[in-house]
Amino acid sequence: MSPISNLDPRIQACIRTRGFEELSEIQNRAIPLVASGRNLILIAPTGTGKTESAMIPVFDRMLKERTGGFTTLYITPLRSLNRDMLQRLSWWCSELGISVGVRHGDTKAAERRKQALSPPDLLITTPETLQALFMGKVLRKHLKNVRYVVIDEIHELAGSKRGSQLSIALERLISYTGEFQRIGLSATVGNPDEMGRFLCGKRDFSVVAVPVIKRLHITVEFAGDSFERQAKWVSDTIDRFGSTLIFVNTRVTAEALGHQLFYRGDVEVHHGSLSRDVRIDAEERFKSGAIKALICTSSMELGIDIGHIEHVIQFGSPREVSRLVQRIGRAGHQLHAISRGTILALGFDDLLESLVIARRAKAGEVEDVIPPRNPADVLANQVAGLAVEYGRISKAAIMAILDRTYTFSGCGALLDDVCTQIAEHRLIRLEGDIVCTTLRARRYLAGNLSMIHDEKKVHVFDMVSRRTVGTLDESFVVGSIYTGAVFITKGQLWRVLDIDEGRITVEPARRVKGELPSWEGEQIPVPYGIAREVGALRRNRRFSAYHTDLEACGFASGFLAEMDKNRSRIATDRMIVIEDSEEAVICNICAGHKANEALGRVISILLSARFGTTVGIEIDAYRVLLSLPPAIRASDVRDILVGLDPEHIGGILQLAMKRTTLFKWKLVQIAKKFGAIDPDADYERLSTYKLTEVFENTVVQKEAYRELFSVYMDVNTAAHLMALVKQGDCAIERSRLSILGAQGLFSSRDQIAPPTPDQAVISTLRRRIDQQEIVLACMNCRKWKSHTVAGRVQDQPSCPKCGARLIAVLKPYEEPLFALASKKEKNSEEKAVEARLMRNANIVLSGGKKAVLALAAKGIGPENASRVLSTLTEGDAFYKEILKAERNYIRTRKFW
Amino acid sequence: MILEFLSQGPALLVKGKKRVLVVADLHLGIESDLDRHGIHFRSRTKERCERLETCIRETMPDLLLLLGDLKHGIPFPSRQEHREIPDFVEQLRSLVPLGIVPGNHDVAVEQYFELGELLPKEGVIIDGTAYVHGHMYPALSLAGMLIIAGHHHPMVCLRDEVGCSLRSPAYLFSPLNDACLGFPTREGEKGRSRVLLMPSFNELTGYDIMRTVKEPFSPISRCLSREEAEVLLSDGTFLGPIQALEGYEPDQQP
Repeated sequence: MSPISNLDPRIQACIRTRGFEELSEIQNRAIPLVASGRNLILIAPTGTGKTESAMIPVFDRMLKERTGGFTTLYITPLRSLNRDMLQRLSWWCSELGISVGVRHGDTKAAERRKQALSPPDLLITTPETLQALFMGKVLRKHLKNVRYVVIDEIHELAGSKRGSQLSIALERLISYTGEFQRIGLSATVGNPDEMGRFLCGKRDFSVVAVPVIKRLHITVEFAGDSFERQAKWVSDTIDRFGSTLIFVNTRVTAEALGHQLFYRGDVEVHHGSLSRDVRIDAEERFKSGAIKALICTSSMELGIDIGHIEHVIQFGSPREVSRLVQRIGRAGHQLHAISRGTILALGFDDLLESLVIARRAKAGEVEDVIPPRNPADVLANQVAGLAVEYGRISKAAIMAILDRTYTFSGCGALLDDVCTQIAEHRLIRLEGDIVCTTLRARRYLAGNLSMIHDEKKVHVFDMVSRRTVGTLDESFVVGSIYTGAVFITKGQLWRVLDIDEGRITVEPARRVKGELPSWEGEQIPVPYGIAREVGALRRNRRFSAYHTDLEACGFASGFLAEMDKNRSRIATDRMIVIEDSEEAVICNICAGHKANEALGRVISILLSARFGTTVGIEIDAYRVLLSLPPAIRASDVRDILVGLDPEHIGGILQLAMKRTTLFKWKLVQIAKKFGAIDPDADYERLSTYKLTEVFENTVVQKEAYRELFSVYMDVNTAAHLMALVKQGDCAIERSRLSILGAQGLFSSRDQIAPPTPDQAVISTLRRRIDQQEIVLACMNCRKWKSHTVAGRVQDQPSCPKCGARLIAVLKPYEEPLFALASKKEKNSEEKAVEARLMRNANIVLSGGKKAVLALAAKGIGPENASRVLSTLTEGDAFYKEILKAERNYIRTRKFW
Repeated sequence: MILEFLSQGPALLVKGKKRVLVVADLHLGIESDLDRHGIHFRSRTKERCERLETCIRETMPDLLLLLGDLKHGIPFPSRQEHREIPDFVEQLRSLVPLGIVPGNHDVAVEQYFELGELLPKEGVIIDGTAYVHGHMYPALSLAGMLIIAGHHHPMVCLRDEVGCSLRSPAYLFSPLNDACLGFPTREGEKGRSRVLLMPSFNELTGYDIMRTVKEPFSPISRCLSREEAEVLLSDGTFLGPIQALEGYEPDQQP
């Protein structure tokens, strides 16, 4: 008995009109479940009628039981509010006599008013706008009719703070309408049950998943590592098949490939930076067949059903299995057809990664979506929202709401901390256990409906050429740009001359190690599991087991054979190889971006502490590159790794991260969510340095760490890897720079400053002393003196005239003393001067260069220099002694 | 005369015949101003009071000299200041004799002090050392002396090859151009006037020392000697002449 026959006749008529003779598999399974009132997670790739699977039975129930608007909320991230879906839903609604409205940030005021006065049965909206609904006195009333909530792209929301915020919103809804039916539409994920729990908390739910995996036909090919050859391969492949979608990983690549294939006349580029008209035009022309191929960065941005797609090309490794499944899943017409896709690998790492991802895709090993754990800033945002919604609300009532969610249940202590913190910022007022709204709270909500952080762009204006040369992310400017800073953008070095409203003025700078601006958020991290499997593949070299063609196999084996020939060690899942190069030490570690980020930072802070130098790091999924002075070698890095206790990694990172750009920026973002800083605040008044201090040991800082350690780096995996090393399951080897080590794209850069401010002071001191002008005077023959700077003096200065090493070190203003001391007839004062100079020279005789340096310091005479030298310290400790002596002099000096 | 530098102030103990503990630029009530500019912190007046009390207990001075800008709000004290300053001052008064040289932010600060505590804002000489807030031309009687001043909130930023490694309150010490300040010419051993600019006690304020030197905004900063000015950290560590810190180009060979 087909589920169709149970549906309202009007709906059956619509189904026939749409041309479906039968329902798809997912529709067949989902409809009875939804009809019976079950909460549901629906898993299927895009373009398989997911929306209809949810909405058909919902429409059916809406027809059977009219309650007035808003009956159904269809919540989707704004990006995927595409024309096609809207058109389809509008069509259904008009056929069935159901009113529909769309409401999001850009909806016109007139439309919003209409919805308030006469609420549509079906409201299509975004998570942020749902937040706004709670604030409107009139709109709130309409919420009591909600019976069904459908959440689209729930896999994307669940993994982010937006989803955490949404999950609280759903429980807030209960206060108006009681329990309602929940339906989540998701792409293929590794943990569908967790998606269900995220949606439903402790309530029951079912999961309906379409096994689309079996229908994927994926190959991996390799066409050399020159861009021209790769583009040619793409061109040939377009000719082999019909309509083709080409997915690339960055906009820059999309443009480059588009340019290279422009001559064909049947390829267009499609990505988010292009105007809407341009994109729509490309989509239409693809659908009509006027163009044969579309180069895109993300399937989300495709507005409509673009018709039949014969083949999908993934240009370069897709980095994640879920991404590949989603993209290739777009190929094929009906569900029964096979989805064909090819990954074109662009290099050695890329090839192995692609092989591993292709295997996993076919085995159905898709990544899990991990919802954030108790994100404190979301809680802050929602407590403020509840305060405005109710005016006064008890913590117990808030806790009751939170306990119904999956993310926040049982977080009573955190709630207390958050309330105390936001009360400190006067976002709410606390009267015992009652949270009360304040004047600012409403304004705060208006600017903070969303957990998405607005990233302003700052223009970079070149004074020399008098034009804007690019833009930087606000986060980078806030964290690292100051007058005199040097940074790189568009491959060129620039020095900052001035910072002004939304614009920095620069001039070209010469070669230097500078901080680099952050990438524009397009780098996708390679997960640990994939990197490990790549490592295993490097070790066992069983390429033929991985469904690829001979050419690719040949290339991979050949590359590794070359490594063998050079006697280079190959880093695998059981071996870490550390290599020396001229400017850097490269740690080849197959652990994925996040674990390498954690390890890299730990290694650099430890190196920094041990050797007193600043270390630059660059990370990719298989390497950590450390920019180090030539004195520090692979063996030093190896010692650090070997001596690293896995349990200490977390603590070390906390210390290390505190002074980085990234941490400060995150702190500012989170502080904004806590109401400490208004979105348009002039926080230039307060350097980020001070902000870090102000939030020390607060829940704001804790959340910054929590987010950093889960999103940007993976502390637990790094610790696990180090434990493997300790157990002997993973070896560490040293090697010369190999072709494998020298490869690599560097996706993130940061600089780790030495852990103590002392270092900066000591560097300044060293520089000052090196540059200190002095006069060397021979106390033996008394016939030679020379002007120089302390840094240039040899280890054991000697007189060129008489060869003696009895050299006194004088400051320039003391020079006349030498003449005095060398007079034939001296009075008692002059004799005393001579005695002092002799003492001075004696210290130089016995102490050599170190004595020269000590005597070049401020206010240090022979006695103090002698004391400094007698501490027998070296390096930084020696300079610290000099600082101590200088400090003492400053205290007591007479000519204050 | 000996100077003790207390970094957890920052504060200066001037030890001559008397022990004078000097702090500058507390800017109490700054949180109200930040509030108006979109930054919402709780008042840290209590913490500053405790910090100052610690300095007092450690140094046992004969006089606590507040070198101006005790309060922040202009053109009149904010409600926060009305609430907090009386107790703050009373607490200090109970520990040690007070003196205040008013600064540009000290509008109506007189109401919180007793007659003997209020000192002239053009400057005062105590025990052979001159003190002034630093926003005005110092009185002519201060010529030839060491002048300790606030107002400029000096803060030094130490950079190494890769960026700012340290931001710290600092002291700027410099001989002054007497003619520039309108001081009468003198002979004798008094010598040139010198200024020691103190960092702000308030932990949220701070102004780049390099900018003060390159773009002076007060009579004293305009009459500094750029060639001879020196920088010290708040614990008395001598950093070096200002020229050593100025314009350090990471891409130049040392």
